[in-house]
This record gives sequence, C-alpha cells and structure tokens, in this order.
Amino acid sequence: MKKAIGSLLLFIILAAGAWAQQGAEALVLECAGYLGAFFKNRFDVRVAVVSLENRSELGDLAMQKLYQMLLSRLETEKSIRLVDLLVDFSDGTGKFNLSRAHDLDFLLDLRLIQNKSKAGLGLTVFSRLQDRVVAVKYFEQAISKGEMDLLQAKHFAFAAMGFSKLLEFESKEDLMDIQSIAGDDGQTQYYFYYPDEIIVYTAREASLEKHSQFKLKWARPYHPVLHPEGRLLLLRSARELMLTAGGNFSPYAQVLTLRDGQWQEAGRVDFVPLRFVTLNQNPYLVGARFEEGRNFFKDRIYFLPFRTPADSEGLQYRRICPAMAIDIASANGLLQAIHVIDRDYAYRLFSADFEETTPLPEKKGASLAALNGEWLAMSDHSRTADQLFFYDIRDGGLRPVYSGKIAGEVLFIAAGTWQDARGFWAGVRQQADGMVRLLVQFWGKRDE
Amino acid sequence: MNRTQRPLILLALLLACLPPPAMRSAIKPYYGGEIVIRLNEPSSFHLNTANYSNLIFYSLIHESFFCLKKDGEIGSNVFQEYRYDAAAKTLFLTLKDNLSFSNGKPLTARNIQVSLKVFMASNLFAASRLSQAVKSVRIHEDRVAIELLADHPDIVSLLTAPELVVLAENEQSFSGLFYPQEWEKGRHMILRANPYYAGGRPYLDRVRVTFSESPAPDLFLSAPGQFKDSFLEFASGIYQNVYLCFLQPDIGQNTKIALYSLLKRFNEATGWRFRDLNSLTSDDESPIAIRIKQLSPQKTAAILKTSEIKLYALSSLSSMEKDLSAYLMDTKLKIETQFIDNSEFASFLDSAAIKYALIDKIFQTKAPAEEKISRIVKESSFNRFNAQYLRMISELDEARFSNSQALLIEQIARISEAVVNDGFIFPLFQKSYSLYVRKSWPALEIDYFGRPLLQKVSKNHD
Repeated sequence: MKKAIGSLLLFIILAAGAWAQQGAEALVLECAGYLGAFFKNRFDVRVAVVSLENRSELGDLAMQKLYQMLLSRLETEKSIRLVDLLVDFSDGTGKFNLSRAHDLDFLLDLRLIQNKSKAGLGLTVFSRLQDRVVAVKYFEQAISKGEMDLLQAKHFAFAAMGFSKLLEFESKEDLMDIQSIAGDDGQTQYYFYYPDEIIVYTAREASLEKHSQFKLKWARPYHPVLHPEGRLLLLRSARELMLTAGGNFSPYAQVLTLRDGQWQEAGRVDFVPLRFVTLNQNPYLVGARFEEGRNFFKDRIYFLPFRTPADSEGLQYRRICPAMAIDIASANGLLQAIHVIDRDYAYRLFSADFEETTPLPEKKGASLAALNGEWLAMSDHSRTADQLFFYDIRDGGLRPVYSGKIAGEVLFIAAGTWQDARGFWAGVRQQADGMVRLLVQFWGKRDE
Repeated sequence: MNRTQRPLILLALLLACLPPPAMRSAIKPYYGGEIVIRLNEPSSFHLNTANYSNLIFYSLIHESFFCLKKDGEIGSNVFQEYRYDAAAKTLFLTLKDNLSFSNGKPLTARNIQVSLKVFMASNLFAASRLSQAVKSVRIHEDRVAIELLADHPDIVSLLTAPELVVLAENEQSFSGLFYPQEWEKGRHMILRANPYYAGGRPYLDRVRVTFSESPAPDLFLSAPGQFKDSFLEFASGIYQNVYLCFLQPDIGQNTKIALYSLLKRFNEATGWRFRDLNSLTSDDESPIAIRIKQLSPQKTAAILKTSEIKLYALSSLSSMEKDLSAYLMDTKLKIETQFIDNSEFASFLDSAAIKYALIDKIFQTKAPAEEKISRIVKESSFNRFNAQYLRMISELDEARFSNSQALLIEQIARISEAVVNDGFIFPLFQKSYSLYVRKSWPALEIDYFGRPLLQKVSKNHD
C-alpha cells in the first residue's frame, strides 16, 4: 500500500512539473516544428542561432533554458546540422561566436517578446547563400506565473554537470594535442601540436588568433603512420618555458626550450612525456612509449628525473598494460592515478602505487584525459555517434556527472582551459560525402 | 504472461541487450592479426609481374612510384610532391622526409634514380615508352628531376606501371607494405608489416602467403562467379593470355601447327581450365580473328614423332607444370618441358637457341587495345623484333593521337596481320580472374590493377 501511495505521489509531482512547463515547451515545440518542416526537403543544412534577444518578462536563466530546449529539439531533425554558437547570454542578449558564420547555410534570429499575458517568439530565417531573409514567423503561448518562476530558478542540481561546449572551430587535419600555458605577458597561449609543427594561438574574444608557429624536425628512425598520435607537455623550469613533443611516429620525444624568442633543442628522451610531477620532492617527467607506427602505448609507464639538457639517463618504469589512451591525474604536482583505456577498449584505473582498481566495470572507451585530480573526460567506443563522458574523480573514484553527444569521432581529448573556464579540448573528426574535417571543441564548466 | 507473449518479450530483451551496430566498431582501429592469402609460389623476391598472382605478391613487398586507384586516380606514398615544369620539360619528384626501407636503411633520391633506370632498361613496353621520352634523371638532395626530350604534361601516367617500384641496393630490404620474414618452400611464406612503410604501417601484423590448400585462405584468385556464400567477389578486370612462341625462323609451319594443336588438346584434356583465345589481345576487342585449323591427333603425332622438342615455359605458368608434363608424357612424343624464371628468360634467350616457348601476359580489361597490342609486339617478339615492328608501333602511336578510332583499329589490324603472317606467336588460351575475400574482411578494396589494398584492412576486434 505504501508503495502504491509513493508511486501515486511521484506521478502527481511529475505530472505537475510537466504541466508547469507546458507553455514554454509548447512555444519551443511550435518553433522547432516549423523549422523542421521548413528544412524538411533539404539535406544536411548547416543552421545556427546567431541572434537571441529577450524583451519578455522572463529572465536570462529562463531564456537560456528555452534556447537549450529548442536546440535539443532541432538536433533530432535529420535534415539539419545544428551548430551551437552561443557563448554567453546575459542582460537579455546572447553573445555568439560568429567566426564560423561563413560555414553556415541558414542563420536564425530569435526574439522573445511579451504580448499582454502571453510570451511571443519571433523567428527570422536568413539564407546566407541567397543573402536574404527567407522566412519570418511568430509563435505565441501563455506562460503562467508558476512556470515563469520555475524557468527562472537556478538548478543547483546541475551545477556539477556544468560541462558544455563553449567553443568550436575547424582545424587542419592531423591535430594531435592542445596544451595551454600563461605567456610572459600573462596572456594564455594555446599550443596546437601537429606532427611537423606547433602553432601557438592566443584568445581574442570568442576566437583564437595565431601568435606564432614553429616547425618540428624529426630524424630517422621515423615511422610514417596512418593515424598520427602525439602528446605535448608544457612546463616551466628555472623560469624557462619548455616543451616536450612525442608521438607514435618517432621513438624519441623532442625537448625544446624558449630562449630569446626562439625554440631551441634541449635534448631528447626515449618516451612520450605526459605529465611533469614531483616525486620525493624531485621533478620527474612521467610518460609512456607508443608502439612504433601504431596507435597504442606499450605496457610501461616511465619516470625520468628531469634536468636540462634532457636525456634518458636514470629512466625507470612500472608495468601497466598496453593502452589505447593513457593520462596521469596529478594534483599540485603530485601523481594521483593513472587512467587507461586498454587494447580491448576497456577503461582501467591504476593508483599512484600501481594498484589496479575497477571503479567502472564493463566501461569501454577510446580516448581520455584527466583535468588535474578533479575531472576525467572519456570518449565512447563508437564510430558514427560518439559521446563524451565526464566524471568527478575528486574523491578518488569515478562519479559520472554528464555526457554529451558528439557528431563525429573523438580523436583525442586534452585537459586545458579556455579563457577562464577549465575543461577539455576534443579533436573531432567528421566525415560526410567523402569530405573529412577536423573540429576542435572545448567542453568546459561555465560556472567555475 | 501467456505463451505467445513470452517469446516476444524474450526477443525484445535480447535485442535490448545487444549493442546497436554503431557501438560495435571502435574508433581506434585495431592493429594486429594475420590474413591468409593463397597465391602461386614466387621463384624469388626479384620483381616479376608476369601473372596476376605475382602482380599481387610483389605489390606486397615492393612499393610503386605511383599507385592507381580503381577509378584511375593517381597517388603516391613515396613522394610528398610531384610537379611538371613545362618550360623546363622536367618532372620534379620530391621525396617524403625520413623514409626508410624495411630494415631501417634510408630510402633516398638515389634509390629512386636507380630504380627508375632499372625499370627503363627493362624489356617492357611501358619502360620503352618512358625511356624514349626521358632525356636525363638527376637528383638533388631529396628531389629527383626527370628531364624529358619533349614537352609531355602527362608524363606521370607513364610512371604508373606496376613494374616501376622502389628498389633497395640490398636484396634483403623492401619498400612495400610487408617484408618477407620466413619462407618454407612449397608451403608458405610469412610477410611481416614494414614498420617504415612510406604510406603508414598497415593494421595487420602479418600476411601468410600459402601455396597449398591449407590453411583455408582469406583471399585467393579463382574463376569468376563462385563462393557466393562466404566470400566477397571482386571483379578484377584482369585476364591472362597464354601464347606459343616460335623464336627461330627455321621452324616448319606443320610443326608449329602440330604443337599448337597438341596444346589446345591439353586444355581440353585437363577440363578446359582456359578459354580459347583467337586473337592477340582479347576476342571481344580485336579487329582480327586468328583461326588456326587444328590438326587431328593422328596427324599431330605423325608430324611430331620424329621431332625432339624442348618447350620452354615461363615460371608464371608453373601452375600447369605438373599436368602438362604428365599429358606430354602420355603422348609418348619426345617433348621435354623446362620452366624458367621470368626474370631469367631474357638471359636464357641469349645463351641458348630456344625454339619453342610458352609465355603468358596479363592485361587489364580497361587498358586500351592499342596499348595491349604494342605490349605483345614489344615484349613477346623477342629476337624477332625488327625495324618493321618498331615502325608499326610508332605508327600506332601516331594513330592514337589522331583521334580517329577507325585509323586506330586499322593500324591494330595491320599489326595483328603482320604478326600472324610472320608466325612467331600463336595465341592459345585466356583466363579471367576474380579476387575472393572472406566476408570477415569487409574493409578490403582493390586498385586499378586488381591488386588487394591491405594497408587499411583490419579484422573486427570488438
């Protein structure tokens, strides 16, 4: 009987929630339905909202929710390839990353107004190819006071899940890793690592601006690869900015130091450094070796006392397992755990003293990265419809907090920052009609 | 729950437990594993593309300068850039950085230069066309400059011959996807993935080339239209022609026709493994049909009974060696067969007075008829090649550029007629091939020459 009452209460609560959302949801459904019908007979049209204004009684939070609801509806439309360009919404106006607007086929302008007791949504569709407005539509729904309050409420329950895509742009192919560090002027520099060069960017508003670039010269033995994979590590040692760059095409990693504005050789090491950590109060490079020419790491984690010029003297190792992806979680420079996707695509976790635990049995993945000792991002195991999973690892375990669908294949994940937000870079490969492009996405926590 | 509902619910549960198709394929391809290929046993690692089986085998261990995709698109794994400078009448080939052969030794512009010269010195039609066009081959650092005698913007197309491969100075190093690791004669050969392959290491670790029926192969050649249940069939467009050649002018016409009749009956006696061939290239594209009247068995025996014939055959025909020897023995005629490696045949011609030879040529259906006829005349006339044929081939080239199909056909007919009248080559048989691949290897594709492209082939691991 108690169970029955409990179920009944739960039903009533859920039903009330659904009723309360009815006006806003109906508005979104009408708008999405119209757009779905409008693009029905087209194929793969690239669409984005580029203007969003709120002149209704609703607040910014409510407006963001309406926007997200609309996007989630439009993402299900087969004919539409939706691009989310919203960077921020405040003071009744949305800010968008318009650097990619030239890639779009249709631009959407949304304006919410108040018409007496009803909320009205004005939609303008602009065809970039025809260079004119092709549709204007107005929808109207009553949104009750209760529903307004619910939409306005900040959902603290989702605070931990706050990973969202903050940035997306196209990169040239073969991008393997992205790392960032504060430059001498205090501005964050973003290092994009390709097999033959590194391009350095700085942030300019909601986009990246090229700062500098330099070529990487490799020597034999060199293993041409079908899928280049590599890891970049930036560090400061004795006030000098240094980097290590290694990959699956070379048995050694280059160590370079920035002197007089030029990147100069500072040795080489026989593995690919992944992290710079402190062990027994001494600095160490920690990393792994790729199987030459292939896309996986050998079964060892290497520890090398760091010095310059760098060489491999004193190299030690601990055994783990051959791995498709490895990252070292560290906090305050101390090694905390080693996260691994093994060759059967299974997720495995090794503690700092190399004890293996299985916090997520049966979990499979392809790429991963750890953000300090706090968050872990892992891609899925699928080819056509990939996903990113985010986990809270602060208490030593893995608590799933959020997942986001990815249109394409995640090639790599790297922990990093974008402006003030911490999160993960993801290199995503998209393929359609024989054309391939590489998208770079940054998934971060806006509320931190 | 009633009895009808239960199986439906169980089925629904089972389906729900199965991962969706997309989930079953990993993003990161799996490196490892072995594929088993059944081919004819090669005689050495020295390049020899005389038959389809060899064409495949040598493509695994030697890398071509340029590759031709199935649709004819040209690409290269060796050169990062190739550019024709019309003003300088020069083709510039720039090597990719840091290339190595399978043993780690550097692959340099010098290797490209030497390989090109080796090819141009060979007795192949494609090689002679190229050598006629080339003035010099120079190298500078990682760049090879091929200077031409005359402007030839389409020069790269002459470098797509499957025989033009990157050769190492050392015979134990290879430029191809794989390199030989183990060879148990008569049984199998193990090829290992080349860790320095210019196009990027293949997913597979090994290829087992088997020369016998076991183990059951994943990939093999056979006549079209078979094995539909477990194998995918690739129409390769490749066919193999077998010819009987008479290399000395003093052979009587009766002897020629008697030997021809004998070999035709051999095909009949061994179950028609080949189709009859009544033209120099292919019966469905030749303007001239060559009808040679066969002699009866009695008349054949009467003509040949006093002759002592030594029939030389190319090793690319070794698959018929056993049956042919047995058949000739049954006839009680004094006919001896000797199989010679294709690469050694030219030197054999110089040292021995060879009268009778059984040779084969493979052709791609898509190749133009004029190219095929030129190849036959250039590569199969041996010591009978003379100024008349050279002139005819030049005229054929001219006809090709005249854009007149009628003129072209007429010239092909003239050459065929001259060859038949001279009587140094009799077409015997033809065989078409399909490539069969086990359905568990779905990613496999073939190139223009019907060769399997194994670089991106991997077995489903998850």
